[in-house]
Amino acid sequence: MKPARLVLSGRAIAVLATLILGAPFLVSSNPFLGFVVGVTLIHVLWSAGMNLLYGYVGLMPLMFAGIAGVGAYGTVRLTMDYGWSFWLAMPVSALCAASIGVVLGLPSLRLKGFYFTLCSLVIQTVLTLVFIYFAQFTNGDTGISQIPPPDLEFFSPNRLVGLPFNLVIAVVALAGVLIVSLIAASPTGQRLIAVREDDLLAETLGIDVVRCKVIAFFLGSLYAAVGGSFYASYLGFISPRSFDVLLSLNIWLMVAFGGRGTILGPVIGAVILVPIPFLLQDYFMLKDVVYGLLIILVMILMPSGIYGEIERRRAGRRAAALDRTRTAARAAAGRRVMP
Amino acid sequence: MILLEVKNLSKNFGGVRALSAVNITQATGETLGMIGPNGSGKTSFVNAVTGHLAPDKGMIYFGGDRITGLRPHQITRAGLTRTYQAVRVLAKLTVSENLATARLLHAERALSDDDIAALLDWLKLDHCLGHRAGGLTLFEQRRLELAMRLLLKPRLIMLDEPVGGLAAGEVREMIELLKELRARCAVFVIEHTMKVIRELADRVVVLIAGEKIADGPPAEILRDRRVIEHYLGAVHA
Repeated sequence: MKPARLVLSGRAIAVLATLILGAPFLVSSNPFLGFVVGVTLIHVLWSAGMNLLYGYVGLMPLMFAGIAGVGAYGTVRLTMDYGWSFWLAMPVSALCAASIGVVLGLPSLRLKGFYFTLCSLVIQTVLTLVFIYFAQFTNGDTGISQIPPPDLEFFSPNRLVGLPFNLVIAVVALAGVLIVSLIAASPTGQRLIAVREDDLLAETLGIDVVRCKVIAFFLGSLYAAVGGSFYASYLGFISPRSFDVLLSLNIWLMVAFGGRGTILGPVIGAVILVPIPFLLQDYFMLKDVVYGLLIILVMILMPSGIYGEIERRRAGRRAAALDRTRTAARAAAGRRVMP
Repeated sequence: MILLEVKNLSKNFGGVRALSAVNITQATGETLGMIGPNGSGKTSFVNAVTGHLAPDKGMIYFGGDRITGLRPHQITRAGLTRTYQAVRVLAKLTVSENLATARLLHAERALSDDDIAALLDWLKLDHCLGHRAGGLTLFEQRRLELAMRLLLKPRLIMLDEPVGGLAAGEVREMIELLKELRARCAVFVIEHTMKVIRELADRVVVLIAGEKIADGPPAEILRDRRVIEHYLGAVHA
């Protein structure tokens, strides 16, 4: 059997793993920074999932946050009301949320671009209303507080908190990024890219576009829901506002800012954009300006995002080098045949 | 042996009749040309046969199997593929990425590297593998389209105006390429350029307002009074 191939090089994986797994240790003495790192890592996971849909299939699912909410509420209810272990409740609710995500993604089979985005906005609005009005399940606008951290049956302390919790989130986020890398390098990834570029042509090339979109929605929703479950346990509180359209837009921005359709781009986007509001919270007038300016600058100067631009330049250099080599080879061949 | 058989194919767009009970057959190894004025239903016919358009009535058989109602990717897998009037490649990807995408269909029994190298050499694409497909000239993009379709190992390829937009010298080159293409699979070609039809087609079908008005060898069709009157008049004048 052929070994699985990753889009990232070994060196890139090593650097990424060191940064993601090392960050919780670096800030372990400062609870506030530890919290910022934890939230950032959850966003790394979310942006990897959004990247599958937006970066690889070209769809902008504004109901991403809603699906994360379904996963979060599901996990919270199963753990708090039915006494399930977090480690059982999280995958069960994530699978349910992913299945719901597939159903909610069905309009993408008919709608494209702006029209799908508009449709997903409506779906997100409906999900937010569901979170508000199905109060028996969600506790409505009040939200659910005192959500316990994940349990650890056979360890002491028997709750996952502090540095260990950050490390678990870091491992999940890293695994999420590496799985996207595996998918991108696989034939499925190539098919998703073809669907993004031209779905009509993709069908002509024998690609089952419906299947590709369903797979992407399932996986993307799984990322959303797993992230949502961790988010709820990490913050200890969720409400319908935790999973409104602003969260979807923020995650989408992280992907676009870092570089859609690249593996490291969304990670860079999340690592830069998530901490800004936390770190500048004392300068509340300034933080939105900095956030907005940064996004505008990147969008103007690097339309394909930070890492997208780096990859674009690299590809340009590779093509130019290839041209030079071939021109030299042709010239040499020409000299040989000239009398 | 009949490869493609289309029976009573009809399609209406609201009150507009695009195809009206069209019957067409194409034999294995045959090159079939289709001509007709703009709006006569030629592209609608290809769209219906390749699954991009659901016909209102009629049956389509390919290699003896019914393909009516199948989705485009299923029809491609059955061995029937097509090109488009406006050239269609994965513009932001490189030539080699385009070819790799086309190669996915038969990943387990793909052409050998030598065969692919020979194919690229034949289509003169070997010099631009690292280039973005969208940056190629129109003629190169047309050749890339052909290469991608041939990687699908088709039994029939339907070409919708393959020389559209090409310069005179490129048309000549494309005709020569298409002549060689006939050795690889059956070819169905829609064209307005009579030179292409005369040189390539074994048989020609004429569509006017969605109806087939003539079907026969090119020389005969080009002398047909109705064809001259409805379509060729201006060309032959």
